Amino acid sequence: MSDILDHLGAIKPPTPAPLSAALEAELGKLAPVKPRRPLRELGALLGISLVYGAGLVAMFTVRGDLRELPMPWLLAAGLAWLLGFVVPCYLALVPPRGSMQPRWHLAAACAAVSSIGFVVLGLLVHPSGAHSKYIGWEHIPRGHGCLELGVLSAMVPVVIGALFLRRALPVGARWVAAALGAGGGCLGGLVLHLHCPVTDAPHVGLVHGGVVVVSALLSAALVTRTTEP
Amino acid sequence: MADPRELMERYVDGDARAFRELYALVAPRLLGYLMKMAKSRALADDLLQQTFFKVHRARSAYVRGADPVPWIYAIAHRTFIDEIRKKQRAVVNVAEGDEVPEVSAGLTGEADGVREEVADPELTAAVMRALEDLPTGQREAVVLTKLDGKSVAEAAAIAGTTVGAMKVRAHRGYEALRKLLGARKRGAA
Repeated sequence: MSDILDHLGAIKPPTPAPLSAALEAELGKLAPVKPRRPLRELGALLGISLVYGAGLVAMFTVRGDLRELPMPWLLAAGLAWLLGFVVPCYLALVPPRGSMQPRWHLAAACAAVSSIGFVVLGLLVHPSGAHSKYIGWEHIPRGHGCLELGVLSAMVPVVIGALFLRRALPVGARWVAAALGAGGGCLGGLVLHLHCPVTDAPHVGLVHGGVVVVSALLSAALVTRTTEP
Repeated sequence: MADPRELMERYVDGDARAFRELYALVAPRLLGYLMKMAKSRALADDLLQQTFFKVHRARSAYVRGADPVPWIYAIAHRTFIDEIRKKQRAVVNVAEGDEVPEVSAGLTGEADGVREEVADPELTAAVMRALEDLPTGQREAVVLTKLDGKSVAEAAAIAGTTVGAMKVRAHRGYEALRKLLGARKRGAA
């Protein structure tokens, strides 16, 4: 059996037809283009997004209970949000050496882990200070403002990433888009971590963590249109 | 033989001749792959042109130093999948008496009438027919890993699946092919 397949594989490939008239016309006016530079693009995406996120925090004010919260938790959570932003964006934008396609399966895993992880962490760990606020399960819909601010923060990295990946992803596009969305959602989470003084479990878990889930789903649904060749 | 990386780099720098060389280098194998997937020379030719048109439009997605061939194959895979979906959605009305011209594919990928000599045409024909009976995913796995000589990782990257899933598909395809050939041999006897 493998002999037959080896024989079939060794058969001279067919002769393709000449280039179509449309392609010939395109080649007639061929101009140089700038190829992708993934690390530079990642740097630009991270830089612009972080400046934008800092601007949003400055505009909407830093949370009032910031100095009352345990510093190790504040730093650890901030670092986790930052990593949640950087890692999926890296996996979505930077392909392995010698390849053009990003590691979409790792990006997908990263999007799933951060989406679930931040919801669970928010539900489990949510220290509060004297000036922290509590709205509880019954008023959870009041968290829509945080959800909107989080998704607004996520939009910039997602749009920048979609522009950099325009027509670059014939396969795995939806997963890469989800990773971009999850990364953007984590930037939203970081903005909310520094801005929102509500510290009850449902709000921190479902709304702040939910920003990652919503951004990942929205990005997966919308960005794919631009990233497929 | 020219290096596809070098050709792609010259092409994005505006060298049209490099694109033609890249086409000459990649298109024959890619056409063979598309013919085995599409089961029709005419459709495979069309898919090949569509693929290279997409490559042209997306050339700014190239990353210097990267091998463009798996990416081009992945575009061909995507184009083929989109075509299947389009055909499944489309409603074709053919009036009675209308004839639909068809150019069937030969064993070596040539249209009938221009077929090349092969070592064992009957056996090859049987394998090709059995290959056509495989589900699309398994057929693609067998074509890429057994006939096109791609590694499992390369085939997975082209088909947009994981290495594990590609291994399973290739194994199942290979086993199904063996069973189909066995059944045909018994039927012929």
